Amino acid sequence: MRILTYIIKRILAAIPVLIGVSILTFIISHAIPGDPALLIVGPKASKAAVESIRKEHGLDRPMPVQYLRYMRGLAQGDLGQSIRNHRPVTSDLADFLPATLELTMASLFLCLFIGIPLGILAAVRRNRLADHVARVISVIGVSTPVFWLGLMLLLLFYRHLGWLPGSGRLDVTSSPPIGVTGLYVIDAALAGDWALFKEVLSHLILPAFCLSYVYLAVITRIVRSSMIAVLGQDYITTAKANGLSTFRVIFKHAFKNSLIPTVTIAGLSLGELLGGAILTETIFAWPGMGKYVVDSINSLDFPAIMGFTLVASTAYVAINLCVDVLYAFLNPRIRY
Amino acid sequence: MRFLTLLSCLLLFLGSTAPAAFAADKDTLVVSVSSDIHTMDPGVSSDNYDWRQIYPCYDRLVKYKVENGVGLTEVEPMAAESWTVSEDGLKWVFKIRQGITFDDGTPLNAEAVRYSLDRTLAIGKGPADNIGAIATMVAVDDYTLEITLKNPYGPFLQTLATNGASIVNPKTAQKAVGDDKAQAFLAENVDGSGPFKVVEWTRGQRCVLEAKPDYWGDKPRLKKVIIRFMSESSDRRMALEQGDVDIAENILIDQIPALEKNKDIVVNRFPSQMVEYVYVNCQNEKLKNPAVRQALSYAVDYQGIIDHVLQGNGVQMRGPIPDGMWGHRKDVFQYTLDVAKAKELLKAAGAENLELTLIYSERRATWEQIALVMQANLADIGVKLNLELMANPTLRDKIDKGDFDLCLGAWSPDFADPYMFMNFWFDSAKAGLPGNRSFYKNDHVDELVRKAEVSSDVEERKKLYSEAQDIIMQDAPYIFLYQIQTIVPLRASVQGYVFNPMLESMYNFESISKK
Repeated sequence: MRILTYIIKRILAAIPVLIGVSILTFIISHAIPGDPALLIVGPKASKAAVESIRKEHGLDRPMPVQYLRYMRGLAQGDLGQSIRNHRPVTSDLADFLPATLELTMASLFLCLFIGIPLGILAAVRRNRLADHVARVISVIGVSTPVFWLGLMLLLLFYRHLGWLPGSGRLDVTSSPPIGVTGLYVIDAALAGDWALFKEVLSHLILPAFCLSYVYLAVITRIVRSSMIAVLGQDYITTAKANGLSTFRVIFKHAFKNSLIPTVTIAGLSLGELLGGAILTETIFAWPGMGKYVVDSINSLDFPAIMGFTLVASTAYVAINLCVDVLYAFLNPRIRY
Repeated sequence: MRFLTLLSCLLLFLGSTAPAAFAADKDTLVVSVSSDIHTMDPGVSSDNYDWRQIYPCYDRLVKYKVENGVGLTEVEPMAAESWTVSEDGLKWVFKIRQGITFDDGTPLNAEAVRYSLDRTLAIGKGPADNIGAIATMVAVDDYTLEITLKNPYGPFLQTLATNGASIVNPKTAQKAVGDDKAQAFLAENVDGSGPFKVVEWTRGQRCVLEAKPDYWGDKPRLKKVIIRFMSESSDRRMALEQGDVDIAENILIDQIPALEKNKDIVVNRFPSQMVEYVYVNCQNEKLKNPAVRQALSYAVDYQGIIDHVLQGNGVQMRGPIPDGMWGHRKDVFQYTLDVAKAKELLKAAGAENLELTLIYSERRATWEQIALVMQANLADIGVKLNLELMANPTLRDKIDKGDFDLCLGAWSPDFADPYMFMNFWFDSAKAGLPGNRSFYKNDHVDELVRKAEVSSDVEERKKLYSEAQDIIMQDAPYIFLYQIQTIVPLRASVQGYVFNPMLESMYNFESISKK
C-alpha cells in the first residue's frame, strides 16, 4: 500500500516537471531565429502567402498567447498541428513512435541478453582471457562511431554476404501488417503471418545491434564491477563454504544483489534510446522519432518539437519511476 | 547450454528467410529517394519531393513536350485540346478534351478545371503565386473555359504545366472540413485523372502508386511504382547495387565513380536548370559600389570549383538565364578568374582591406568546400572573408531581412520561362526571400523586366531580357557560379526514363518500363 502512495506521489510530482519542460522547450524553440512560415511556403513565395501561413498556424500572435493556446489544446489531448506535415502531431507520433519503441525494445533486449552474461563472465573469470575479451569488446563498443558501425554492418551482412536484409522495417515489396500496436513484430504475430514475422525480425537485427552496442559495452562494465564487489562479500564465501554449486552462488546469491546499478543504467539507457536514435534511424532508414524530430527542428515545426519533447520527458519520468519501484523488489531493505 | 540451443534455434529460424535480394518483378519499379512526402495536396505543396508522387496522379491543361526521348521546356496540349488567346494577352479560351474522367466517373470538364485553379488560388499558399495572374474564370460550356488575366502575363501558359495547376476532382469539395477546402483530405489522398493513383503511403517508409490501365492517354507500361524513403546516400547506393531498387536519386558525387564501374548500373548525367550562386547584398554599405561587386566576381575560381568540388558535374553560368532556357545568351559577358583586374577594381574603388562575411547552410554537401575555396580566392585579392555556417531557418530569416554581406544560394525554376530568373532575381519589388535576394535596385532593369512580364510576344520579351542582362552583368549583384548537372543512376533494366529539367526529382513513370 505504501508503494502505491509513493507511486501516486511521484506521478503528481511529474506534472510540474512536465509543465516546466513544456515552457522551456517552447521558449528555446521560439528563440531560434527564423520563421517556419518562410520554410513552408517554399523558396519563392510572396509575402502574402507567408502571411497566410503565419495566420493559419497562429504564428502572428505574441508568444505567451501562442503558449497558452498550446496548453489549452494539450489539456484536451490536442498536441496541435504539424506545420511541416499539415496534420495533427498526435497522428505523426502514432506513426513514428512505435518504430522507435520496437527498435528500442529490441536493442535493450540485446543489451541485457549479451551484456549481462558477458559482465558476469568477466567478473567470475577476472583478469583471465574471458575478462580481457569482454574488456576489448566494451572498449570497442564505447569508442566505435555508430554511423560507421551501421554502414559497415550493412556493407558486410547485406551487400557482401547477403545474409540479412538492407535498411527499412520491411522488404521493399512488403506491405506493413495490419496495425494494432504499430510494433510490426507483434502485429505480424497477431495476424498469424509468420513469413512477415520472420521478415520483420530479420530487419530488426542490424539496427538493434548497432544501437545496442554502445549501451551493451556500458552494461557489461557495470555488471562486471558490481559482480566483483558482491563476489567479495562474506555471505558469498559462506555460500561457497556450504558447498553450493558455482552456478547457484553466482545466479542465486551474487547476481540479484549486483543488479541495482545495472537496473539504473538500463533505465537511463532506455530513456536515451527512446529519445531518438537519430544516427541509427538515418542509416537504416528506420522511420522513428529521432529522424522525425531532427526534421522538425530543421523546419522549426514548433508543435512537432513540443510533442516530441513531451513524449520523451514523460517516458523519462515513467522509466525513472519504474526503476525506483524495481529497487524495492530487488532489495527488500529499500522501503518507500 | 540452454542459451546456445536457444541462440541456434533463433538463427536457424531467421536463416530460413534467405533474405539475399528482393528485386521487384518487371512490372514494378522501385525508386529510392532521400525524403518523405509532406503533403499530397497540389494546392499546398511547394516541394519537388512531394510533386514526385502528386504529378503522375493528376492531369493538367498542358504538359512538357518530349522529343526523341529528350524532355523539352515547351508545352503541348494535355487535358486542353487547344486554346486561343486574345490579342491583348488578357483572355485565354481553352477547349477541354472530352472523355476524361476521374476514378469515380466524374467528368474532367471546364468546371473541374475552374474548381481546381480556383481552389489553389483560394488556399493562397506557394502554388497560388504561380497562377496569381488569373482574375476570373468562366465555364462557357461543359468543355470550354475562359480565363481572364489581371494583366497580360507572358509565362501564363507555362504556369499551367506546374504541379499547382493539377486538375482535382470537383467532388472533393464534399470532403471539406469547415473552411479547409478539402486540404486535410487531399493532404493524404489523391483524386485526379492521371495515369497513376496512390494506394499506400506508409510514413517514413514508402509510397505505392498503382497504374490505371484505362488511362485516357498513353497506357502506363508498369503496374506499380514503389517509392522507398531512404535518407542516407550510402544506403540508397547499396540498395541500387544489390538490385533491390531500380533508381536511386541524390547519390553523393564522390560515390558516383564506383557506381559507374558497375555494369548493371547506368549513370545518366543531364544538364539541369538548377543553378548555384552567391547573393551580394547591394544595400550593404561595403558592397554598394558596383566596382567592388565586379571585383568579387573576378576573384572566384569558377573552373576550380567545378573541377574539384563538383568533380566536373557542372558548367559555369553565363548570364543569369541558364543554358537550355529560352532567353539564354551565349554571348553575354562572363566573369572569369582575374586576380589582377579584381585588385585594380578594389583599389580604384578605395575598398582595400575589405572584410566580409559569407553565410551558408548545410543544405548542400558541397557548400562548405565552396565557402573555403571562396575564402582563399578572396584572400588573394586582399579581402578577408569570414565564414558563418547556420541552420537553414536562421539563414532564410537573415536573407529575408537583408542581414548579410554574401550568401550562398541555389535556385531552380518552377516553370520554363526566363521570368523565373529575370523577374524574380532583379525586380526590386521582389526584394528579399521571394527572389531578389541581393536587394538589387536598378530602375532601368525594373522597367525592362516588368515590360517583359506583361508582354505575350516572345521575340519582344527576348529583346527586353537581353538588354537587361547586359546591365546586370556590369552591376554584378550576384556571383553566378554554375549550372548543376543532375545525376540519375539507374539499373540497366530500366527503359524509357526521360529527364526534364523542369521536373527535377520527378519521373515519367507512365512511359518507363523494365526489361
